[in-house]
Amino acid sequence: MLYREAGDFKTSYRADQQTFPIRSERILFWAFIVAAFAVVPFFINDYWEKSVLIPFLVWSMAALGLNILVGYCGQVSLGTGGFMAVGAYAAYKLMTAFPEMNILLVIVLSGGVTAVVGMAFGLPSLRIKGFYLAVATLAAQFFLVWVFNKFPWFYNYSASGQITAPERLLFGVPVTGPNSPPWATYLVALTVVFVFAWIGKNLTRGRIGRQWMAIRDMDIAAEIIGVEPLRAKISAFAVSSFYIGIAGAMYFTIWFGAVEPTEAFGINQSFRALFMVIIGGLGSILGSFLGAGFLVLLPVLLKNLMVGQLGWATDIASHFEIMIVGALIIFFLIVEPHGLAQLWRLTKEKLRLWPFPH
Amino acid sequence: MSLVETLPASQRDILLKVDNISLSFGGVKAITNISFDIRVGEIRAIIGPNGAGKTSMLNVINGFYHPQEGTITFEGVPRPRMRPHHAATHGVARTFQNIALFRGMSTLDNIMTGRGTLMKRNLLWQALWTGPAEREEIEHREAVEKIIDFLEIQHIRKTPVGRLPYGLQKRVELGRALAAEPRLLLLDEPMAGMNREEKEDMSRFILDVNSQFGTTIALIEHDMGVVMDLSDRVVVLDYGKKIGDGTPDEVRANQDVIDAYLGVPHE
Repeated sequence: MLYREAGDFKTSYRADQQTFPIRSERILFWAFIVAAFAVVPFFINDYWEKSVLIPFLVWSMAALGLNILVGYCGQVSLGTGGFMAVGAYAAYKLMTAFPEMNILLVIVLSGGVTAVVGMAFGLPSLRIKGFYLAVATLAAQFFLVWVFNKFPWFYNYSASGQITAPERLLFGVPVTGPNSPPWATYLVALTVVFVFAWIGKNLTRGRIGRQWMAIRDMDIAAEIIGVEPLRAKISAFAVSSFYIGIAGAMYFTIWFGAVEPTEAFGINQSFRALFMVIIGGLGSILGSFLGAGFLVLLPVLLKNLMVGQLGWATDIASHFEIMIVGALIIFFLIVEPHGLAQLWRLTKEKLRLWPFPH
Repeated sequence: MSLVETLPASQRDILLKVDNISLSFGGVKAITNISFDIRVGEIRAIIGPNGAGKTSMLNVINGFYHPQEGTITFEGVPRPRMRPHHAATHGVARTFQNIALFRGMSTLDNIMTGRGTLMKRNLLWQALWTGPAEREEIEHREAVEKIIDFLEIQHIRKTPVGRLPYGLQKRVELGRALAAEPRLLLLDEPMAGMNREEKEDMSRFILDVNSQFGTTIALIEHDMGVVMDLSDRVVVLDYGKKIGDGTPDEVRANQDVIDAYLGVPHE
């Protein structure tokens, strides 16, 4: 009932290659998007903004970026935290150097700066693969964080070594700094993530996406049928870093407002993003969101349940939270090694036939 | 039929000429001083025992290996040392001895990837999708659908290739090579591991590619029945040296070839 493709005939290639080929799926998607844009802002409060929705959106953006590199192009990276730091510091320097600059432009330009840095650190991928590349990207992680600690120019010689986002307005409403209303920051983050998820989908379904996947699946064959490894790999690093840079810029500007590199952008963040794409589903745009949702929302849910509902002590609850999330990660990876997105795909396969599976 | 096809193979223009090619890996000589040519529109077989240097020869032709000596002339122009993807953009496509499809992608995406060299829209257009990038995609989709029809694989269009049986995977791989609209198609054991029916299908596709698209084909194959029936001319390698070259009948009568490879029928 919910999910039918009977009678949904495609008469053109354009119709056949759309993102949501089945009508009920399309309706569901747009209903979800309209709710996210038009309903949620009226009900959002400070808690939902800072602890749930903004973290989810920012991490979704980072996971999207990393998924393009790891899931689509097959280049393992452990430099996500470092690249997020580049995005954050680029945003800070742009905001302080050009106070008049539009905040959205700041965020996108920070992504651009990160893309350039990412391309430089992507160069080793032309020579080394797999785990060795992961170790090479680890260099980016530690080097970049070290740079932002070492050179005071990056944090404008502030005494604390922290960077703090100044207040910026968008259409007369503050979207960064302590006075920004929750709905405004939420809408900015949602818009950015929505637009770039759509762009990500477009890139991965066209020629460039196929070339990335060709490199991932069999690099020698890809080269022999005309995929230039240099272009494919470096473009994947560029696009991926662009996304991660935007995530880092949002992390700093509209989520935390003040960060210090060692803690905010450490190796833990790199692992976190990598777990998101693995749990969510490598090579899937939806999977990036599911993975981010799993690792961001589930702990919040568990905490509310254990502390809020059951009245447990916070420290015990936090231990249980780590154990439960860890166990669930293992459980899901055993049940479906291709991630939550694959589970969703299988569910859809079942729904297509339901209630007559034969 | 075009004029080219009506001419006997010996009178057509030369598409590719290799002169005195030598290739060695460290101290191992894979190919020693081999010369032969491939004429426009012909089916040229390369045969020989295992380890004779057949696959190395194909790898030299599509730029994957760089010979230490010798020259390659393609379409009358001596070819500089090049990377494989340059060879692909210059009209040389190939299939592999062991299937080298992109396993995570559908049949359609695999064949569309083969058309990558013909697609021009850059990253920014593709990010936008609507407009030129979509038009280009649809244009190439039409060309790919023709290949899918030609190879009779409509029913597996959207199936991930990792799930397909071997014979179909070989066919998809041929489709991916054809998608680039090559002028020279290299087939490395297109029928290895196939049963009789699949071999007959594949032979038919090879002949049809040659006659309908006018594609010049160089193929490596171990099934002598197939080789002798399909090819216009055969070159025979053994231990990296050329020991025979000519029409199937000439090769079959060549004593060196019989000694090294064909053997004599048991009485």
